[in-house]
Amino acid sequence: MLGASLANPRTQQNPDGGEYQWELPKGFPRPKIPADNPMSAAKVQLGRYLFYDQRMSVNGTQSCASCHKQELAFTDGKPRAVGATGELHPRGAMSLVNIAYSGALTWANPTETSLEHQALTPMFSDHPVELGVKGKGEAFIQILHSDPLYREMFAAAFPGESDPFTIANVTKAIACFERTIISARSPYDRYHYDREDSAVSDSAKRGEVLFFSEPLSCFRCHGGFNFSDATDYQGRRGREIQFHNTGLYNVAGPTSYPQPNTGIYEYTKQPGDVGKFKVPTLRNIALTGPYMHDGSAKTLDDVLDHYSAGGRTIASAPNEGNGFHNPNKDPLIRGFKLSTVDRADLIAFLDTLTDDTVIHNLNFSDPRKNRHP
Amino acid sequence: MRAITHNKNEAHRHIRLLQLSSSIFATLLFCATFLSAQSPAPEFKLVVTGDVPAPLTLTAADLAAMPRERVEMADPDGGKTTYEGVPLQEILKKAGIPFGRQMRGKDLAGYVIASAKDDYQVLFSLGELDPDLGGVRAIVADKRDGKPLFQYQGPVRLVLPGDKAGARSVRMLEKLEVVKLRK
Repeated sequence: MLGASLANPRTQQNPDGGEYQWELPKGFPRPKIPADNPMSAAKVQLGRYLFYDQRMSVNGTQSCASCHKQELAFTDGKPRAVGATGELHPRGAMSLVNIAYSGALTWANPTETSLEHQALTPMFSDHPVELGVKGKGEAFIQILHSDPLYREMFAAAFPGESDPFTIANVTKAIACFERTIISARSPYDRYHYDREDSAVSDSAKRGEVLFFSEPLSCFRCHGGFNFSDATDYQGRRGREIQFHNTGLYNVAGPTSYPQPNTGIYEYTKQPGDVGKFKVPTLRNIALTGPYMHDGSAKTLDDVLDHYSAGGRTIASAPNEGNGFHNPNKDPLIRGFKLSTVDRADLIAFLDTLTDDTVIHNLNFSDPRKNRHP
Repeated sequence: MRAITHNKNEAHRHIRLLQLSSSIFATLLFCATFLSAQSPAPEFKLVVTGDVPAPLTLTAADLAAMPRERVEMADPDGGKTTYEGVPLQEILKKAGIPFGRQMRGKDLAGYVIASAKDDYQVLFSLGELDPDLGGVRAIVADKRDGKPLFQYQGPVRLVLPGDKAGARSVRMLEKLEVVKLRK
């Protein structure tokens, strides 16, 4: 029973209605929660329904779950996301797994640190159109208001509010649901935190040694319990969240990364920030390809080719260039030798981060298809 | 018939012996695997070299027989991880490095380079390690929560409980080299 409990991190509200209780297994700290949106079981449940509700799109074809599919660790399997009207997003949909621990939410916006605020972008952006609710927010609220189930759920989630049917409350509920999507008991976690030595293979253990070795130094950016240096949590000490240029491109022209994906330079306008992107978590990485901000690395082998070369070389236009020489490249991206066995070991290690308890957790599934619990 | 029966019995005895042998072999193999997973590999050596009066090559058994300490490291989840091992100063003292009243003059222009299997290196001055001077607490740990370290950490590693980050806590420690700038 203990194993089952550890394998399935759950959250719930105290029976007395007090502070929300996170039931997190060993190794996982409490997430930071904004003071104006405390967690509650009612908000999480409402957020789950909204997350899967396709009526939240301009043409009733998409919901949050369209680009964040549970079976793909809440990514979409596409190089770049496609909106409700078919418009192509410049970047790939990021995984929502462990987003509660993310101090930077998007690939390249260092100012976006609020899940509640971020939810407005897919809903209302028009360049590109994602869900396409811009100008139709009131109509969407009316749809929610006319649904007896939502009338019940909004009242429970926001007790005491005379009119809880607001866009702000929609985003608060979605954010609460997203924060519960926590991956904490992959085979790696069972090996590392529960000391189940047989939970991972010998190949994966050798891969772990490589991952944490000085020549590869993967762990310097993909470190800590969430395998990312963009991690944040209650009581965290340490350095500011970093964004990195990994030498993926080195094109000619005013920016070394092809437009429009110039990294945090888009916000800072500092030339030294061109090509700097968030370090995504490696948890469930085997499920979240294609990789990089623009999905330009199809497989984990492609990713290892890039890093082992110390930057990617593209031989033909339009993105011709040798990323090894990108002027903003992080000094840690210096290349390394990897034998065939090493490569297999490293990928075996990365595979241990795939967490079946997340992709099959009914608490995170479409509640209209599966009402459990 | 008797001969055939005799041969059959012989054959069965041989098979039983073979089964017994393979069973013993499997048991020994299991024990060896288990032991290798439970304690530092028998071939493990920590080399203490450089400008020391008594260079050392320490085995896992040597470390087990030396004065040992436990330190608790805070985890992000609010829990603790306990490391156990030998104070770095004890190892350096065993190699003849003087600490305390004798750590003065030229010795204070000395340092120790901690090197790992993967070529990672960190430098500590002898003065910062001296309990009467810098007093930096450093443990050469071979146990984590009572068990052997993970492969990527061990068989032994440095643990510095007073550091704010883990960068000086050299994993896969293999060598301590003392350098004295003033002889």
